[in-house]
Amino acid sequence: MLNAIDKKVLKEVADLEGIPKGAYNIRKNGKLEGREVSANINIETNEKGDGIVIDIKPGTVNESVHIPVILSQAGLHDVVYNTFIIGEGSDVTIVAGCGIHCGSNESEGHSGIHEFYIKAGAKITYVEKHIAIGEGSGKRILNPTTKVFMEENAQAQMELTQLGGVDEAKRANEATIGAGSVLLITERVMTEKEQSAESKNEITLAGTDSKTNIVSRSVIKGSSSQDFYVNLTAKARCYGHIECDAIIMDNGINQTIPALRALHPDAELTHEASIGKIANDQLMKLMSLGLDYDQAVNRIIQGFLR
Amino acid sequence: MLQLQNIIFTVPASDSGKEPPAGQTIINDVSFTFEPGGFYAITGPNGSGKTTIAKLIMGINEPTSGRIMFNGNDITSLPINERSNAGIVYGFQHPARFKGTTFRDLLSISLGSDDEEKLVNIISRVGVCSMDFLDKPVDSKLSGGEIKKIELATVIARNPKVAIYDEPDTGIDLWTIGPMVDLLKREQKENNTTTIVVSHNKTFLEAADTLLLIKKGKIAYTGDLAGAMPMLEDLSVCTFDELCQGEDDAQCYR
Repeated sequence: MLNAIDKKVLKEVADLEGIPKGAYNIRKNGKLEGREVSANINIETNEKGDGIVIDIKPGTVNESVHIPVILSQAGLHDVVYNTFIIGEGSDVTIVAGCGIHCGSNESEGHSGIHEFYIKAGAKITYVEKHIAIGEGSGKRILNPTTKVFMEENAQAQMELTQLGGVDEAKRANEATIGAGSVLLITERVMTEKEQSAESKNEITLAGTDSKTNIVSRSVIKGSSSQDFYVNLTAKARCYGHIECDAIIMDNGINQTIPALRALHPDAELTHEASIGKIANDQLMKLMSLGLDYDQAVNRIIQGFLR
Repeated sequence: MLQLQNIIFTVPASDSGKEPPAGQTIINDVSFTFEPGGFYAITGPNGSGKTTIAKLIMGINEPTSGRIMFNGNDITSLPINERSNAGIVYGFQHPARFKGTTFRDLLSISLGSDDEEKLVNIISRVGVCSMDFLDKPVDSKLSGGEIKKIELATVIARNPKVAIYDEPDTGIDLWTIGPMVDLLKREQKENNTTTIVVSHNKTFLEAADTLLLIKKGKIAYTGDLAGAMPMLEDLSVCTFDELCQGEDDAQCYR
């Protein structure tokens, strides 16, 4: 049974008011809490028993699958291996995410290792939210790993969000993009207090006319720190762009290191990166529309992390 | 009624390292009264202090000395947002570009409501922005003309008592300037908006009831356009008058 805290966590990470419609798998404190499959989407525990395999039939369109994780057991460090097989020509939305509720002084953590095999012509939207709440003083740790293998003419849009509450996060994203395939990644991270977040991305444009756009938006409050690394490697005629922006507030610190490697003469790779405080002209504009300083800051951050 | 009383603005030391340098006097003892519902154009050579006057009125710059009175209240040290709430709104010369913030966001803030019908109403009232602008991010991808139209709309959406437009025609195509002047005139008439336009554009200068010619931080002329023409023509010839050796034997290439 889902209790009030679980429901609150589900609402935050997956926009769910209760049990979702369609296929889902809810994991709570390292155990299966509930599962539903559909005619086109199968979910089963993997052979080792340390995760699930989500198998989406070729041609499945307009379906979604929710796989939220709830963590509320003091001292638990949950590791899970999930595999997604997205059949040819399908078009689906996958909503993942992990919510930690920490009620004690013991740390709690979740490491989700997600592998995506996106078959030819398939299209997925992957939405992953990470949150941590609760009155406990224990550390909340989230270390997600995402590995993406895209065949030809596939499309993947990945939205990875962590807005506050998580003390330590080490993210690793890897992707290999096949011919004519497009991968769009948007990562939004807000840290505060003494929190730290690191994101390492290894993206390879492997096939002819593959494309990627990697966007990182960071807001670094308090005395927190964020490091963002991308290695974008091109092995074919392709197009890749990296855009990383960090807004530093208070005493936050940030490293942003985008790297481009063209191993093919027809590769076209670009990047733009910026680190700084909220731009003064943006504040002036919003204040000239009647907002006070704090309201203006909030609106700018809200838009930035949208 | 908006009154500038003996306004002096000298670049403060806190702005050192920027242009113009700290200590330089940009506005030198300017006094002027903007009557309610009047249409004013501020013009003058580049660097004469036009934008600084506009920013002093909005509270973006604080005068070194002098007073600004608005409807009988001293607003000299009032912050930007409180001036805005009192009815003064400024359309920036170089509008801010955001990341993620959309025209809808700005317009909703300006209107104080995100009601779709009200947003659509304001866009039709402004006329120069198309509806599909609404969900566009106000970022560096917008053209110079698009962002100026958005800027104009956010000012008008506040129904200001005093609207200041800083070079509203920058980046705007020739065919839109006429409708833009008509719009400002209509707003002035229907809402009795005191309208102040900083501009070099003759269309705006012609539209104004009163023209202020700013030269080296001072008001060099106030009156109608006809009276200003000889001075403006002079200015258009040369702004290096300190170095000028006269009409005869001129050593420049004018």
